[in-house]
Amino acid sequence: MSIIQPFEKPLGMRDTLPKLYTHHQTLRTRAMSYITKNGYEFIQTPSLEYFETIGKISALDEAALFKLVDNQGEMLVLRPDLTTPIARVAAAKLLKEKNPLRLAYNSTVFRAQQREGGRPAEFEQLGLELLGDTSALADSEILRLAAGLLRELGLEDFTITIGHAGLINQALETLIPSAEEQQRVREFLVEKNFVSIDRWAADYKQSNPFYAFFQEAIGGTSLKDLLQAFPELATDETKQFVSVIETIETLPELKNVFQVDPLVVSHMHYYTGMVFEVYGAGSGFPLGNGGRYDDLLKQFGTEVGATGFSIRIDHLLEILPTSTEPVTRRLLYTTQSMYAKALDLAAEYKQQGEFVTIQLKQAVQDTESFEKNFDQVTDLTEGEL
Amino acid sequence: MDFLTIAMPKGRIFEEALELLAAAGYQLPEEMEDSRKLIVEVPEEKLRFILAKPMDVPVYVEHGVADLGVAGKDVLLEQQRSVMELVDLKISYCYMATAGLPDTKMNDVAPRVATKYPSIATSFYKEKGEQVEIIELNGSIELAPMIGLADRIVDIVSTGRTLKENGLVEYEKIVDITSRLIANPVSYRIKQQRIREMAKRLREAVEAEVE
Repeated sequence: MSIIQPFEKPLGMRDTLPKLYTHHQTLRTRAMSYITKNGYEFIQTPSLEYFETIGKISALDEAALFKLVDNQGEMLVLRPDLTTPIARVAAAKLLKEKNPLRLAYNSTVFRAQQREGGRPAEFEQLGLELLGDTSALADSEILRLAAGLLRELGLEDFTITIGHAGLINQALETLIPSAEEQQRVREFLVEKNFVSIDRWAADYKQSNPFYAFFQEAIGGTSLKDLLQAFPELATDETKQFVSVIETIETLPELKNVFQVDPLVVSHMHYYTGMVFEVYGAGSGFPLGNGGRYDDLLKQFGTEVGATGFSIRIDHLLEILPTSTEPVTRRLLYTTQSMYAKALDLAAEYKQQGEFVTIQLKQAVQDTESFEKNFDQVTDLTEGEL
Repeated sequence: MDFLTIAMPKGRIFEEALELLAAAGYQLPEEMEDSRKLIVEVPEEKLRFILAKPMDVPVYVEHGVADLGVAGKDVLLEQQRSVMELVDLKISYCYMATAGLPDTKMNDVAPRVATKYPSIATSFYKEKGEQVEIIELNGSIELAPMIGLADRIVDIVSTGRTLKENGLVEYEKIVDITSRLIANPVSYRIKQQRIREMAKRLREAVEAEVE
């Protein structure tokens, strides 16, 4: 461990400086208004949760959790995701009052980083959860709002890739005989390592229906044709998937922005139905993801359907065009005796929508460099001295 | 149409990869490798090549500044970055192995292993249930056992000549290494059609080559 310099922050922690903060705030306001208008209510859950419950259920690698011990000796975690705490509140309280339940959140989550910069350990997520509805229409509502939100925020070039946990599980289980092999291939899919799947298939002596499925899927065969070619995959769940896709094909929000890929497998193992990832041109990392996670609520003793998505605000900010509202930043130099006049004048400027800074001139050491931070300067001290 | 950006290691892998791309039907100019240029564009095919250090290729791809890359499996195993492995190009074949002085056993107390691949070496010995001390070196790994720095080395072996000339023998083979076509997961979606097509054409070219 090297000596910590005064300017350093713990690995992965970031400051949000004024410019970014403003940009961030504009985005947040627009997003929140879009989400509330669509019937979702925002909630906030605590930063700290028990390791035994949220920490274990949240499906994240234990190494990624920030752990600490409280004064009772209990192990705590800094919340690593929001879906799990929201499932906790919903199961314990809110679903008893309103079911189906539509909730939204905009909070930071904490995930410890092992490696170099570029990866924050605390980042903001914006998301929706629709609890208590297992229908295909609920899934398509989530997809519609994910796309609608991105469009609302001004993102043009993005893609939503949709898969289905039930479909890929069915494919793995019916097309690969041994459970051990199923697990191996699933891991290759999570890693998106197609070479390992090619190699696994090359070692295979008998005919390999899963590899045939894999090649069809990678070649872009449509969902309908896939289900026709592999009739053993047509379960009630996969039929629901087809109906989700048929619904969203008619929605204007999703026009030309989604693709179906049955090979999408999330590393979050709690997904049970449709799963999706959101990608935006210009960011090397996914903007967000979502899906149906009916099993998660079971862990909190309630059996209801749940579906939702979350967006990484930091990745989104990187690629969104900066839409700074045209505002005049005015500097008002004053003296002690002119202060009352300065306040009156400031009130007038503020009325006109300007951002006004009142500053005692003699307290500024380098006026030239200070003034560079403003669009307009009014000097009440002129002619005073 | 946007450019597809491909990160490539300089040198032999670059040449071999270009041959494969040509075999896959991509029209590339004759003289591509100018030793000083770091970015080479082929406007006719809308391709842009970034020439990088082999270890850096997955970094460019992971961050999405390159859509695709050609990287050795050794580098991919060592770095564990979140990139997609699309095609085994089956070029620059070699393998990862442990080696040491002939007829020697690992020190019982604190066996030491020198390597350029600390994470591959660590996980290999961990899986074997052996606790070793890993010493990271940047090159000429063969020196380590010769002068008593380490009992074993973990390194790539292609012909075995370097080992032989330095009086070392191979002990265990760890994994086969070839170069892979890798992709940034976002690019794979945003530029899906072109990337899938390139992967398909390359896969066919590789198969034709192998036969």
